[in-house]
Amino acid sequence: MVMSSSCKRSEAPIPVNRPYETGNASFTGATLNSAPNDPPGEWRSQAHDYANTRYSTLDQINTGNVGKLRIAWTFSNGTLGGQEAAPLVVDNTMYVVTPFPDELYALDLTLPGEPIKWVFKPNPSPIAKGKACCGPVTRGVAYANGKLIYNLLDDHTVAVDAKTGKEVWRIKMGNVETGETMTMAPFVVGNKVLVGDSGGEMGVWGWIAALDVDSGKELWRAYSTGSDSQVRIGNDFKPFYDHMKGKDLGIGSWPAGAWKHGAGSVWGWISYDPQLNLIYYGTSNPSPRVPDQRPGDNLWTSTIFARNPDTGMARWAYQTTPHDRWDYDAVNEDILMDLRVDGQLRKVMVHFDRNAYGYTIDRATGEVLKAAPFTYQNWSSGFDMKTGIPTVNPDKEPHPNVKLVNVCPPDIGGKDWQPSAASPRTGLVYAAVFNMCMDVTDNDVSYIPSSPFDGMDMKRYPAPGGNLGEFIAWNPVTGKKVWGVKEVYLTMSGVLATAGDVVFYGTTDGWFRGVDARSGRVLWSQKLGSGIIGQPITYLGPDHRQYIAIYAGVGGAATVHVDKEAVKGFDFPAGGNSLYVFSIDGDSMSNGQSQLGGMDSISKKSPQSGTSEKQ
Amino acid sequence: MDHCAARAGMGMLAFALLTPLSGCRAAQGGSSMTAQSTMNLPAESAAGAVPLGQLAGAPAETATSLSIANPYEHNPQAIQAGRQLYLQMNCAGCHAYNGKGNMGPDLTDTYWRYGGLPVQIYNTIHDGRPQGMPAWKRALPPDEIWKLVAYIQSLGGTVSVSNYEHARQGDRPGDLIAPEAQAEAQP
Repeated sequence: MVMSSSCKRSEAPIPVNRPYETGNASFTGATLNSAPNDPPGEWRSQAHDYANTRYSTLDQINTGNVGKLRIAWTFSNGTLGGQEAAPLVVDNTMYVVTPFPDELYALDLTLPGEPIKWVFKPNPSPIAKGKACCGPVTRGVAYANGKLIYNLLDDHTVAVDAKTGKEVWRIKMGNVETGETMTMAPFVVGNKVLVGDSGGEMGVWGWIAALDVDSGKELWRAYSTGSDSQVRIGNDFKPFYDHMKGKDLGIGSWPAGAWKHGAGSVWGWISYDPQLNLIYYGTSNPSPRVPDQRPGDNLWTSTIFARNPDTGMARWAYQTTPHDRWDYDAVNEDILMDLRVDGQLRKVMVHFDRNAYGYTIDRATGEVLKAAPFTYQNWSSGFDMKTGIPTVNPDKEPHPNVKLVNVCPPDIGGKDWQPSAASPRTGLVYAAVFNMCMDVTDNDVSYIPSSPFDGMDMKRYPAPGGNLGEFIAWNPVTGKKVWGVKEVYLTMSGVLATAGDVVFYGTTDGWFRGVDARSGRVLWSQKLGSGIIGQPITYLGPDHRQYIAIYAGVGGAATVHVDKEAVKGFDFPAGGNSLYVFSIDGDSMSNGQSQLGGMDSISKKSPQSGTSEKQ
Repeated sequence: MDHCAARAGMGMLAFALLTPLSGCRAAQGGSSMTAQSTMNLPAESAAGAVPLGQLAGAPAETATSLSIANPYEHNPQAIQAGRQLYLQMNCAGCHAYNGKGNMGPDLTDTYWRYGGLPVQIYNTIHDGRPQGMPAWKRALPPDEIWKLVAYIQSLGGTVSVSNYEHARQGDRPGDLIAPEAQAEAQP
């Protein structure tokens, strides 16, 4: 079942005798623009920092000892939706959120067995469960001012006191009966928390909004379609490319009225540059997913926005896939890096789009500096640097009632929402990507509230090579893949990069791996109880030991979008809900000498058989 | 019976201005194909008497309403009309074009959260269900819901009326039954 390590390696031979392969030199010179980071030993936001790097400076676990990683402790939350969120670690407490019914647990890391401090049960409306296209998931919680803030599937944002587990505020952001849900992880900038909606397959009117961290009051909302004032486009708006310049394009680039149910939901990641004072995020596909029903560019769907977080006003926009015909979205993470292009230092974002292009974009202006496919694709025949638009291959444009075969990538993209990571030590970006194609037939659809506004009938299967997944290292300066680890099954997990030069990711068949950040060599693997679509994190325990944590529990888009017959003999794992925490040799507060000490302090209240036999 | 006019005033399912067109086309097309059969539809009050889901210890009188047959079962024209409704009412968006489920449950297997008898499926479409299934009673007349049921029955995963008592207890036709269990099954 597991490919031999030689099979997993890139087809390209790994070069030797280069300092960046074995030493400490950077491949690219790229640095991260991550300030302010979460404290090094903690994990207070999904991406760990404003720049969305998912990079930790911890290095107790490194290339020399990662092979000794063992399970230290586990935690089960009892739900069966896809486990997509990263746990947070704040003040020696771990916070884990479940898929629907969106329960939030606080675990005390200072006590053996990491017992539950409190659990918060918000009781969201069950209607939401059947309205989420890609499973009743959540992508996590944000921490700010002593509060944990997250979105409930039924369109409410809630803040919970981190110490007590009591609700501080809750605000209704939409009507779940229309098909709108919320799955993204909020992102905090100062005293504002930014949230957005889901429902690109339900004909929603997509938006991002800023709420006051302390009161929950809505401060501004910017829609993804509609008039310039609804989209919060004003005099400061300076898109780099001509086709995005003009008045009320969020109405004019649609057939009459179609923008009202044109989606552009905001269900992915947000990043922030404090110097430029701009937030960055992407909007979803246009609705319906049948392009012939909505001639035009369909702005501002499948678009990356830069906005001022104080006012919500747009600074620039860049539409990655105009008139998106394949459901490619633009919601994937934007990693903020500083690097030299043609000798000039540029402030950039690195963005792996579902359309299979890896972009390096000037984050001050929206100019595309590099754009190159990071995985197999055939929907475009090249990239026009003048217009910033990939050249569409007309053979791969779907039309109603015509079966189109071998369109690559499929709707799920060359990479979906699962966030990549970057390391300032190597200057590389690391991503879990797909190698997939689809046969697709479009069907005309009507907008009926509360039902999907969709129309795509698809069958998905592996692209050439036969592997569904790959874990890649990417050079954002050259726009080239450095190495790749091919995986038979889908790779749909987040990535963690560390100063120990080990990068971590998981597979949907349940393998969790640690990889040499320089060579791409798999140094350590552990099979977990279910498939992995979560996001790995690392933290320092109260014992000053470095831990790595990851949820196993496949679901979400990984199960919705993969035909079980896609790979011969593919036995897709069942769902699960276990958090796994690893350390060197599996040492923790829960075992060995420290566990016994802990037991003494707990006294005789909870005697455990076998304790005395351990030593 | 002008369902299109009735639909314009619906509450939660109010259609946007553009949308009644194709929905009404579907409705009228579906109705005209088998208009002669609409006379034989089960009384709506009978369907309304059916309990929700598979209830342990349900009284015997509910058996009568549970055994309501679909007048369109095996009717090729009605199944075809049901397939059209399945596409045009966006059922495929949740339950997939092949009925094998996606956002919504698989309709081709033998697991039915709220019962797999024809009248139970009718009620599920008519009334909606708590985890996101819309209530279609204000959008579709009974005639069209029964055609949708006929299409779903044609996918092969439902429970037949003749087998309803056994299905409730998880029995399948032809299964072995222990003598003691057989005795207990007798009233």
